[in-house]
Amino acid sequence: MITQFISEKVLSAAMSTGADFAEIYAEKTRNNSVLFLDGKIDSVTDNVLSGVGIRAFLGTRTVYATTTDFSEDGLIKCALSVAQAIGEHRAERKIHLTERIFPNIHPVKILPGSALMKTRTDLLKEACFAAKEFDEKIRQVTGRLMSVDHTILLANTEGLYTTDRHVRTRMAVSAVASDGGENQSGFEGPGRGMGLEMFDEIKPADIGRRAASEAMVNLRAEYCPAGQMTVAIENGFGGVIFHEACGHSLEATAVGTGTSQMAGKLGQRIANEKVTAVDDGTVPGAWGSVNIDDEGNPTQKNILIENGILKNYMIDRLGSRRMNMPVTGNSRRESYLYEPTSRMTNTYIANGPDKNEDIISSIEYGLYARKMGGGSVNPLTGAFNFAVSEGYIVRNGKICEPVRGASLIGTGSQILMDIDMVGQNMATGQGMCGSSSGSVPTDVGQPLIRVSKITVGGR
Amino acid sequence: MDYKRIKEIMSAAAKDAGIDEYEIYCSQNENMSAETLKRELSGFSSGMSGGVSFRCIVNGHMGYASGSLIEESELCALVRRAAENAAAIENDDEVFIFKGSESYSESFPSLGDTGVDPAKIKACALDLQNRVYETDPSVTEGTQSAAVYITSEVYLYNSYGLELSNRVGMTGCYTYPVVNKNGEAQSHFEFALGLEGKEVEELPALAVKRTMEKLGAVEIESGKYNVIIDGRQMSSILSAFSPVFSAKQALLGLSLLADKEGEIVAAPCVTVTDDPMREEAPLKAPFDGEGVATYKKTVIENGVLKTLLYDLTNAKKAGKTTTGNGQRSGYAGQVTISPYNFSICAGDNSTEDLFAMAKDGIYVTEVKGLHAGADPVTGDFSIESAGFRIRDGKRCEAVKSFTIAGNFYDLLKNIDSLSDTVKWQIPDDFCVFGSPDVFLRDISVAGK
Repeated sequence: MITQFISEKVLSAAMSTGADFAEIYAEKTRNNSVLFLDGKIDSVTDNVLSGVGIRAFLGTRTVYATTTDFSEDGLIKCALSVAQAIGEHRAERKIHLTERIFPNIHPVKILPGSALMKTRTDLLKEACFAAKEFDEKIRQVTGRLMSVDHTILLANTEGLYTTDRHVRTRMAVSAVASDGGENQSGFEGPGRGMGLEMFDEIKPADIGRRAASEAMVNLRAEYCPAGQMTVAIENGFGGVIFHEACGHSLEATAVGTGTSQMAGKLGQRIANEKVTAVDDGTVPGAWGSVNIDDEGNPTQKNILIENGILKNYMIDRLGSRRMNMPVTGNSRRESYLYEPTSRMTNTYIANGPDKNEDIISSIEYGLYARKMGGGSVNPLTGAFNFAVSEGYIVRNGKICEPVRGASLIGTGSQILMDIDMVGQNMATGQGMCGSSSGSVPTDVGQPLIRVSKITVGGR
Repeated sequence: MDYKRIKEIMSAAAKDAGIDEYEIYCSQNENMSAETLKRELSGFSSGMSGGVSFRCIVNGHMGYASGSLIEESELCALVRRAAENAAAIENDDEVFIFKGSESYSESFPSLGDTGVDPAKIKACALDLQNRVYETDPSVTEGTQSAAVYITSEVYLYNSYGLELSNRVGMTGCYTYPVVNKNGEAQSHFEFALGLEGKEVEELPALAVKRTMEKLGAVEIESGKYNVIIDGRQMSSILSAFSPVFSAKQALLGLSLLADKEGEIVAAPCVTVTDDPMREEAPLKAPFDGEGVATYKKTVIENGVLKTLLYDLTNAKKAGKTTTGNGQRSGYAGQVTISPYNFSICAGDNSTEDLFAMAKDGIYVTEVKGLHAGADPVTGDFSIESAGFRIRDGKRCEAVKSFTIAGNFYDLLKNIDSLSDTVKWQIPDDFCVFGSPDVFLRDISVAGK
């Protein structure tokens, strides 16, 4: 995209007024998606996003500028605008870049761009028709097969010059069941950091059936009662609880600016001793994995909490400067239009000591949250919320009738202590996480867990 | 962007490919922002973004392709890809390239044409931050303020010779004070339009006051309460449920407002309008993403659903006329039905009147997690909230994290009264929501 020689000139220009670090991030990303709606292929989205972001640092002050002009003149102009905004003194800095090749730990077998359109529409139809045929009350099925082929180039004044290519694929099906005047919905949306070979592992028809099944359960569900209860949260996307309740508060974006309830707590007990939590961007082919982060650092496996003790944060370059701690390979952004910041990759609570059947049988009266929706958090106060998309009342240790329309709220510091049982069936679920550097793919995960007490928002 | 050049290259490529009906849609945005932390400027960013989309009708199907590079080879590739993509589509709804409306509202060039000096943006952010710190000694680290400038330009040209453009822009600033008192930290987000003026002048004091008010919040017992939802929070709820007003969603059976035009869907005090050229809105849209002239319309009048929102395809399908709501979000977005300046109209009570009517209840001043806690297909919501207790018709102590739960369709019917001022969300694109404070009886609240 940009040669080594031009990158050196552009970085020199960015440093020409006294910045102490500068970086070029360039990308070419092809987004393709096929939408199934009302029994037919409805539309095709096909976009190529290309652009460059140039960033300079002076201490903990940053300046960022973007352009879509890849010409040498266009890039130098952009770099000079960064230089003009960051410093006032004339400085000369000769840049010498060395090309680095990072190992590709997420090889792709079937590039989505190389597959025939019919291959893609057939996969999508298999999922959507399976949902439609699940029950005659399934009234509407919407399905989307999305693929992203993302090539980036990074060059910085520490001498780094490298490129990386990352492919991801996701199929999302939502089903609506209708019974007279009432609609209920179900959703299933697995994704992988792979090409179309993800469907060797996950059968499209299963995706459709799971979405339909959830909609049907909700159609016969009564409204969830309100109040504080003991709650068992199932594996997979249930891990959104850790993502919201704690994960965001461990990002340098919050910790380094003094807006996290977890700041200054390294080495302290912040969770029940059964809780060990990990962020791992290296899981092969996972939805939140990348070879290198958006500052060119290899991703790594970070133990965040070990047996209840806070061990580490997730740190990008700016956070590293603010916190005086090393980077952790967590710098991410949606695209060149965003300045990168510390973000989660694949974040999960590890398997614990409790048997799953013991968790359910321990609950006299409470809620079993089989599937979760999304949520949000204020990292400063730790106040979080997330939605229960498929839930059941637990009575005398048995899973009973389904309930709908529930959400769970609480504060991160409290719920981490209240996770008093951790099961052994760790699995992950896929989501898009939104924050100041845009929307990025993240995996959440956990085994079945029990929270001794949490507020259930119902009626 | 050189629109003339893009038009010439793509029109020629379309002609070569034998494509008769097509449309070129370009959008270009410019942005600048300055951020502060502690009492210093912590970041400054600027840039241009945008791109070109080509869509065309091939065998009755509409294919799209878009990209951000405007070299000749890239533009020609878009024409080819759009035609290929059309071949995959099975939906037989009639699709249109629009011949043009009789007339269009005049698009006034706003401040986008002259641009804004970066120094002014930086000065505004820094001044705001300093004034926030000076408002109260408990304002502490983590406090952030920023000033922003954005412009948005769209250009549309189609095979019927319709050629339209619109350029709008705005400036604004926001602050996020963090206060720490007796070991308790709280924060609050507040914004103002413009870089100067009364609203900006008053922003620090208002933001700090609202943050301080949250300190010492208590938990609330679960139960049914009279609830007053602050207008800005109600705007967010309206935004989360806005797909229910889309004719496409209705025709697909995904909105319970299907077949309800002409029927009562809300309380008699509820009137809802959509006004693309709203006087005070900084981002006005004289035409939609299909080139149709926009206009102000009443969607609900005194509780009766007057119209859903339509684009050309769904209007044809339903035997109606488009309402000019076929929007495109950026150059890469396909035509999607959505509102412009969409609001519940003001009532005639002051907020204090509503407190007096509620006597005993809760004033909701914060709602969060609507992307998860609100389902437009079912209408159900269960939303994390915070606010204040109302006792004896007066606003009292702050209450923390509770949920309000219900169903949007029921909520519309159960609105008891409205305040006399519409509060609008931050206008970060053409689609913005507004509402007065809303008084509802017997809402389910989950607390302790």
